[in-house]
Amino acid sequence: MTEQEAVTETIKAEEPRIGAFICECGVNIGGAVDCQAVADYVATLPNVTTAVVNKYTCSDAGQAEIKNAIKELGLNRVLVASCTPKTHEPIFRACVEEAGLNPYLFEFVNIREHCSWIHMWEKEDATHKAKEMVRMGVARAAKLEPLQSSEVPVTNKALVIGAGVTGMQAALDIGDMGFQVYLVEQGPSIGGKMAQLDKTFPTNDCSICILGPKMVEVARNKNIEIMSYSEVEEVDGYVGNFKVKVKHKPRYLNIDDCSGCGLCTEKCPVEVPYTEFNEGIGTRKAIYVPFPQAVPLRALVDKSVCIDCGACSKACERGAIDMEQQETFSELDVGVIVVAAGYQVYDPEPQHEYGFGLYDNVITTMEFERLINASGPTMGKVVRPSDVQPPKSIGFVQCVGSRDKNSNIYCSSFCCMASLKNAQLIKEKYPDTEVYIMYMDMRTPFRMYEEFYNRARDSGIKFIRGKPAEVTETEDHNIIARVEDTLTGEIVNLELDLLVLSVGAVSTESTEKIRQILKVSRAADGFMMEAHPKLKPVDTTLDGIFIGGMTQGPKDIPYSISQGSACAARATRFLAQGKALTEGITVKVDEDICVSCGMCVPMCPFQALSMEEGKLNIISALCKGCGTCAVACPTGALQQSHFKNDQLLAQVKNVFAYGEV
Amino acid sequence: MTKEPVKLLEDEGLTFLTCMQCGTCTGSCPSGRYTSLNTRRIVLSARRNKDVYHDENLWMCTTCYQCQERCPRGIKIVDGILALRTESVHMGLMLPDHRKVAGLVVDKGHAVPINDANKEKRKELGMDELPETVHKYPEALDQVKKLLEVTGFVQLVLEEEKDKSEEGQ
Amino acid sequence: MKPVSLFLGCIIPNRYPGIEKATKLVLDGLDIDWADLAGASCCPAPGVFRSFDKVTWLTLAARNIVLSEQMDRDVLTICNGCFGSLTDANHELKHDPAMTKQVNKHLAEVDMKYKGSAEVRHIIEFLSKEIGPEKIHDAVQHPLDLKVALHYGCHLIKPSKERDLGTVENPVFFDELVEALGATSVDYEDKMACCGAGGGVRSALLDKSLEMADAKLQHIAEAGVDCIVNACPFCHLQLDFGQVEIKDKYGHEYSIPVLHYSQLLAIAMGHSPEDVGVDLNFITDDGFIDRLRG
Repeated sequence: MTEQEAVTETIKAEEPRIGAFICECGVNIGGAVDCQAVADYVATLPNVTTAVVNKYTCSDAGQAEIKNAIKELGLNRVLVASCTPKTHEPIFRACVEEAGLNPYLFEFVNIREHCSWIHMWEKEDATHKAKEMVRMGVARAAKLEPLQSSEVPVTNKALVIGAGVTGMQAALDIGDMGFQVYLVEQGPSIGGKMAQLDKTFPTNDCSICILGPKMVEVARNKNIEIMSYSEVEEVDGYVGNFKVKVKHKPRYLNIDDCSGCGLCTEKCPVEVPYTEFNEGIGTRKAIYVPFPQAVPLRALVDKSVCIDCGACSKACERGAIDMEQQETFSELDVGVIVVAAGYQVYDPEPQHEYGFGLYDNVITTMEFERLINASGPTMGKVVRPSDVQPPKSIGFVQCVGSRDKNSNIYCSSFCCMASLKNAQLIKEKYPDTEVYIMYMDMRTPFRMYEEFYNRARDSGIKFIRGKPAEVTETEDHNIIARVEDTLTGEIVNLELDLLVLSVGAVSTESTEKIRQILKVSRAADGFMMEAHPKLKPVDTTLDGIFIGGMTQGPKDIPYSISQGSACAARATRFLAQGKALTEGITVKVDEDICVSCGMCVPMCPFQALSMEEGKLNIISALCKGCGTCAVACPTGALQQSHFKNDQLLAQVKNVFAYGEV
Repeated sequence: MTKEPVKLLEDEGLTFLTCMQCGTCTGSCPSGRYTSLNTRRIVLSARRNKDVYHDENLWMCTTCYQCQERCPRGIKIVDGILALRTESVHMGLMLPDHRKVAGLVVDKGHAVPINDANKEKRKELGMDELPETVHKYPEALDQVKKLLEVTGFVQLVLEEEKDKSEEGQ
Repeated sequence: MKPVSLFLGCIIPNRYPGIEKATKLVLDGLDIDWADLAGASCCPAPGVFRSFDKVTWLTLAARNIVLSEQMDRDVLTICNGCFGSLTDANHELKHDPAMTKQVNKHLAEVDMKYKGSAEVRHIIEFLSKEIGPEKIHDAVQHPLDLKVALHYGCHLIKPSKERDLGTVENPVFFDELVEALGATSVDYEDKMACCGAGGGVRSALLDKSLEMADAKLQHIAEAGVDCIVNACPFCHLQLDFGQVEIKDKYGHEYSIPVLHYSQLLAIAMGHSPEDVGVDLNFITDDGFIDRLRG
């Protein structure tokens, strides 16, 4: 018998002495539930030593009362009936632990979300239900057993997935705190979407002018190892001890020998009518440098169009070209992972929304960014695609792919400001151009944003409050947007030379792949889910994995950078401490009952189970306590500690104790 | 008792309350380009519990469903308009020509019944004078008449026009 | 393919019998198992009757569907209005047991019961899904070299949630059937716009209704086509007889022949234009009829 088993046996042998603390949470619970009546009832239940009401159990006073009761009344179980374990369970576990009780001898009943809030207008029934819920909790509390979480060492390195502005910020902050960072980027350069933008709101600085130095800073930082054109393939392990397999895609040249001089590009005879960096506009060669400020400034070969003529090899003075190059893999050991895998702009093409994909002169915001960008395919000259002439009238349609049940219900948040910015840029560059913004609501929160909107209004941009219903094309390829000006009730047929669709953000396939590899939760909107929408905005429910920027949902640049820093700070806590606690709630096997059928092994999402020499082996550090295997076990040999059959059944049986309330 | 529009639409599962007044419906409306119908305003009036039942614009909708297809809030606008129309008809409000069409169905089982000119056309095409419908089968027409009676439709549409909402005022 | 019963509605048998005849010729020619739906009534018309009283609308629609259920056949409609009314009613009844109970209470008065065992089809989606443009093409004996302005009409495709026919903004399945006959479907402004007849607007507010038809015809005229092809006799009436009314009211003269797809297909399969009553339209054009004859 181990020491822990001995402690467990002692506690199991003791008569349960339960203290029940019923929280009023001000009027949150007290407004609907008669807490005193609940406490009076609970006091009559078996094994309950004391039952009291607190105004706020989580307050210092409330916690002090729990600690006192443990000491003075010799409580060996504590039950709190209050709010959600998501925010408060750690507080109360720590509280009972401070009073000398094992934290797993704490039972939590949620009579706020599960009772008072949903039965606000049914006070009598709410009180009745609260009594029943607490009775069930008491039954389970009596069966609780002490558990130990263990300490594991933490590898003091970090992995950052995605080198857009969020990932770069996270990598810089972690690197500056003295820890090594692997920065994995699937594209050939770091920089992300921000590198493609022309100006940035609300100050209209040139995007690459402020991003470029940051990219260089990342490259210079001794603690950051950039792995560009690389993808995370597999992740195993747990907080502090992740094993990561990274695939390095072949560029067909030796990255250490290439200097990005561009001689190969000059000689390459293959002209490709598509540029990734310019949103498809313009042409590039089969061997190319992604963009002039790329980091690393290295070429790559697009093998799908390369004709293997050898011109680039001959041109390269450094002999860097290697057409036989294969993909390679790295195995990384890291303690924490930050995901900043980014987004893609909504694609209006499949449904031909507003004629996109049908009419040449309907483009997206990102295409417009490249058109107006001085380093873009037109050297910053805004022209319309059909005849390469400067447009005399331009319209922006807001909320394309956002706030629409037919595509995405959420607001993408940055598009109002992006269009206000682009509309102003047109007015500055071409003051005679008529500029329209068709919108439902202009959303400009945060510092200097409303001022920015005022400036746009002052500059003579015309605002039409209405979402265009449909778009048609005239013979000379002008675009007619049919929109109700809802402020006058008039239906306007607005003829425009160029229509820009202010497209929102959606999650990407590659981000979704990473999400599945890491097993981070997915929110209804397709983005990754944070652990708590307010209190843990960059944490995930998985220890040691953090999400930031657009990975967690649409947001603008300042917000993304803040989240990058937040991820770094949250992640570095583990690296700085050098240790982490693993979950005490794990699965255990009763070897006398286990028939070694192995059905549980493939069930485990965390690879914690394996069959070794006909015997089930459990790596407790990998177990997250999800219980999937225990459900699959046909003999009942697997038992989820803290959720053992007898604990749950005690609770279930007490659901039906009618008439005893 | 006339139901208030918000309650009526809610009971039918057709609430307009989520409308954000974006105007996609109005811009989509083929009728609104030529008539005084402004779909968004119908929705607005209804969700504000104004008396849309007396609004003649209610009857200018061709039920083409374009607004309903495009509504970013997924509001069943046309189905809602049909429900509002129904309440209006039950208040005794009905356009005279609609009353006539209703009468034709009550009489003949067809909204557009056969006439002599078309009997001729049918013969010219080598077809029976009467189609294989209630026109040819009197017992089938009796069934239709019976059904229109038991559902209360005959009483509903053949009563003289009067605005029940104003009764007793 | 489940056998079908042919639901005629009102306007086809009583105003454009040529469409009825053409449909029967086409169904025979394509070896489709069909039968008359004897004793059927008005569907009833969706815009008006559905506006008046929901239970009456559902009850009368249910009776028509029950007639087909009793024959163990799906209902085949050749009119967007009938399709819309019967499809939506069928959908409503299949998904609302309380309403079905109420409707069945009424139907019991005439010894009928709605079961929900029949589907409602429209000839266009039926031909597109069950036969397909390739087989239609194979059945053509007499290719039609025509420029056609296609009018889908509204209730063939909308509300889309109950239809499963793809996009309502740029559908192509009907165009494919037209092009299978050798014709060209010409794009025109506001192609998907309503003809203006539905919803009880034509029956009670004729002037407003014709303004919409006028705009539609103007866009079609601008595209320079040989004829209009539709799949709905009410649109057909609005675009054919409507041209006479528009000429009287506004002095706009278009003289564009109008055909239901059944008629066009029958002609392509070798029947004469007179066989299917193209000459019985209000807008007739001998030159065009000669071209159809080939």
